[in-house]
Amino acid sequence: MSFPILSSLIALPIVGAVLLLFVRGVDEEQTARLARQVALIVSVLVFFETLLLWARFNPASADFQFVERHAWIPAFGISYAIGVDGISLFLLVLTAFLTPIALLSSWESVHKQMKAFCMFVLLLESAMMGVFVSLDLFLFYIFWDAMLVPMYFLIGIWGYDRRIYAAIKFMLYTMAGSVLMLLAILGLAILHYNATGSYSFDLLKIYALNVPRPVQFWFFLAFALAFAIKVPLFPFHTWLPDAHVEAPTAGSVILAGVLLKMGTYGLLRFAFPLFPQAAEFFAPALAVLAVVGIIYGALVAMVQPDMKKLVAYSSVSHLGFVVLGLAAMNTQGVQGAVYQMLNHGVSTGGLFLIVGMLSDRRHTRLIAEFGGLKKVMPHLVAAFLLVTLSSIGLPGLNGFVGEFLILLGAFRWDPRFAAFAASGVILSATYMLWMFQRVNYGTVTNEKNASLPDLRPREWVVIVPIIAVAILMGVLPNLFLAPIEPSVEKLLNQFHQSSTTRIEASVDPVTGHQSPPTSEAAR
Amino acid sequence: MTPGALNAIVPMACVAAAGIAAMVAEAFREPGERMPIAGLGVVGLLGAAISTVVLWNHNTSSFGLVSADNFGLFVTMILVIIGLLTLAISGPTIERERLPAGEYYALTLFAIAGMMLMATATDLLVIFLALEVLSLAVYVLTGLRRDSPVASEAAFKYFLLGAFSSAFFLYGVAFTYGVTGSTHLDRIGSVIAAGAAHETMMQRLAAGLLMVGFAFKVSAVPFHMWTPDAYEGAPSSVTGFMSTGVKAAAFAAFVRVFLSAFEPMRADWGAVLWVVAAATMVLGTVVGVVQSNVKRMLAYSSIAHAGYLLVALLSANDLGKGAVLFYLLTYAVTNLGAFGVIGLLESGVQSPATSQPSATSQQPPHDQVRDYAGLWYSHPVLAGLMTVFLLSLGGFPPMAGFIAKWYVFSAAMKSGNSGLAIIGVLTSVVSVFFYLRIVVMMYMTEGGRPTVFPSVPKVAGLALVVSAILIFYLGILPARVLDWAAQSIGTIF
Repeated sequence: MSFPILSSLIALPIVGAVLLLFVRGVDEEQTARLARQVALIVSVLVFFETLLLWARFNPASADFQFVERHAWIPAFGISYAIGVDGISLFLLVLTAFLTPIALLSSWESVHKQMKAFCMFVLLLESAMMGVFVSLDLFLFYIFWDAMLVPMYFLIGIWGYDRRIYAAIKFMLYTMAGSVLMLLAILGLAILHYNATGSYSFDLLKIYALNVPRPVQFWFFLAFALAFAIKVPLFPFHTWLPDAHVEAPTAGSVILAGVLLKMGTYGLLRFAFPLFPQAAEFFAPALAVLAVVGIIYGALVAMVQPDMKKLVAYSSVSHLGFVVLGLAAMNTQGVQGAVYQMLNHGVSTGGLFLIVGMLSDRRHTRLIAEFGGLKKVMPHLVAAFLLVTLSSIGLPGLNGFVGEFLILLGAFRWDPRFAAFAASGVILSATYMLWMFQRVNYGTVTNEKNASLPDLRPREWVVIVPIIAVAILMGVLPNLFLAPIEPSVEKLLNQFHQSSTTRIEASVDPVTGHQSPPTSEAAR
Repeated sequence: MTPGALNAIVPMACVAAAGIAAMVAEAFREPGERMPIAGLGVVGLLGAAISTVVLWNHNTSSFGLVSADNFGLFVTMILVIIGLLTLAISGPTIERERLPAGEYYALTLFAIAGMMLMATATDLLVIFLALEVLSLAVYVLTGLRRDSPVASEAAFKYFLLGAFSSAFFLYGVAFTYGVTGSTHLDRIGSVIAAGAAHETMMQRLAAGLLMVGFAFKVSAVPFHMWTPDAYEGAPSSVTGFMSTGVKAAAFAAFVRVFLSAFEPMRADWGAVLWVVAAATMVLGTVVGVVQSNVKRMLAYSSIAHAGYLLVALLSANDLGKGAVLFYLLTYAVTNLGAFGVIGLLESGVQSPATSQPSATSQQPPHDQVRDYAGLWYSHPVLAGLMTVFLLSLGGFPPMAGFIAKWYVFSAAMKSGNSGLAIIGVLTSVVSVFFYLRIVVMMYMTEGGRPTVFPSVPKVAGLALVVSAILIFYLGILPARVLDWAAQSIGTIF
């Protein structure tokens, strides 16, 4: 048996966190220094492991690779089943990429309990890895829920003024969504029991299960609610601005970079393929919410006086694109959605880092407090510009490819959605550039800005990889899209096959006409 | 009498013997002499544990009244664990409240013996007897702080309502005897099953009265009124003990009576229990949210947990019966851990604000939610342990509480009670809110005046760590214990 690389991705951060328990310096300061060094080394190791995984990943195959399967609770058919395919591969890489950056970004901004901070970041990393590799619904749910706890502590302990409110809101919203999903998961296992005589939570077995149509609707709603809150899809987004604004920089980076992707990943991996008929039926509704989110998020972002809040609302808008691409359920749309998940992680992560740097220097994030920074900190502003452009979707940078593919997919599905969504592209340019202009151009109006230090060496290390990846993903999209494509194709084939065959097999003749014929043809 | 006829009562005999030994030891103790009375209890409980393991799978029975089947033995084992943990965490409470140690331990052990009898009894009269044995001991334990008005009030309330419920139960037994001509569960079951077609009012009355009796003991709504007061007034370790032990014993008997003897009438009592379970879950969590005293909060949490257990009981399929057992075990370990921490913190003394340095003994117990502010910064380990217990109560993976709740909800879904399952998961989200209030205090709020805690006794500390390890074990590798739970219910139902 070969080296269990995926398990090690989950285990290594936990080992690191346990190691941290025993790190003890002569005084507070030394402990903190040692702790963050250990944490950084561990997270960098994990990152190299994911690169190794990428290198050994067979891009031509659509199947799950590096699969590990062990019985866990055999009486209930629960197994420790993990594996990776093209869809999850880069999400793992992204997670491992952002974690060390998040740690580095809090090198100086975290002033208390550094050790615990590093532990929670590592535990969070482990849970996120677990979510993306789980091939067993029970295991998935465990990681999904377990991830809440470290994030809750990160926001609640190291956040800004209203951190307790934000942390509890984050926790309760996410839980309220996910508990109903738990019941739906149980329901699926029981359906499997009724069909075959044994329980199973194995995703691949449950894919093959023929879920009755009315049941599909309820279960799809339960899954979709959990994921929609996580994404967050309009109108379930209200926890996000609070959580983002109050979280420490590292928390925001991970929250925006990875956690939100769990929602869209969940839709793609679980909600759509498990309940194809319901997904088919609800796809237009999802798309409407997504488009509303795109425009609403952009408009609200435009009027924010606080940079962090602006970036938070821009996430609502950008994630709307991802959901739209998924709802289209065609190759371009889904590929674009997967790509856009990565883009958003990189560019919004970058934006939060930059905002964090500014806020570390000035202890405020209000746009009005800044102005004319270009003359004071040319390097930081240059980085800011690149990240902003990548977030807007300038051709040549990463954001463009994803948005383009999504709009293409949406257009092929239903041009109306594409038309409305495209306005989001323009709006995003408006609010981002306007913010950028107010912060960086003009004369220095506020005395306090006159002598701010430019990028420090540590900050160079933080921001350069982000920009490099943004450019790489913009220039060589195929490097990433090639491994994604086979898995997406397979998933779509499976989806369309099962949604159509099941419709034919269904007794009720009405069900065949649930979706408009134009969309059928477009697929 | 054939050899081995007494085998089934060996576990409770061990514990009762230890209780008697504790009483004798206390009587012969010189004033001021320190005696390891708790050690006697440990010996007795270990004896019970060993005999439980030996009896496992043998399905022995004594006098036709006590049956050491796997179900009863599983609960007995839970009770042994409850007993050991209780003994271990009692030290600080006894010290602080200056409780009479000998009486405390003796009563605890007698209560455990009664609980074990209740879990294994197969005759309604013996169940009643066991109920009284454990209840009387627990009433006294509740009021053991003789000079405290709060404790006296709690004990009095508990006693009055408890006596009331015992009367209900006894009345139920009488009706059952009137209807079926027997108090033995098997016999009752077969008579009721034979006449299932034409149920009489008397049968319903009998089942209803018994249910009221049990509902009192497990603190189900609307018979929960005594719970918050009793839990708040009793010394912390006693609260931990009765919230877990009494519940385990009462649920064991509840399951036995209603899922074997009264099983044929399930259509009748099922509907009632549905409402009771839903109300219990909702009231426990909703009222828990507004509590400011930690013990009171956990009292409401305990009511809510009784609701989840009722859901499992109501589901009554193979999953549900196993779920009751697993849930009881998990809840016992978790809640005792939490009360262990509370007991330790109760002795905390806020450093005097201005003068009155001698006022320390008059200080109120340190058990308000706000007293936990900043605990993490001063006592990271205790805060960490408390967090594990609270998160497990809230049902977070990878803690045991998650697996337990998941088991209960699977049972509910499988039996078609998805309505209850939905209420259950939603109330558990609400309950997370109040568990988190304590967490927020510990981690995210700066403490006011620094608080001085006496150092943690080694035994109590060890018990808390063992509880935490058990919680993770049951949460991450539950397969073996789940198998045992499944085996236990196979033997009798």
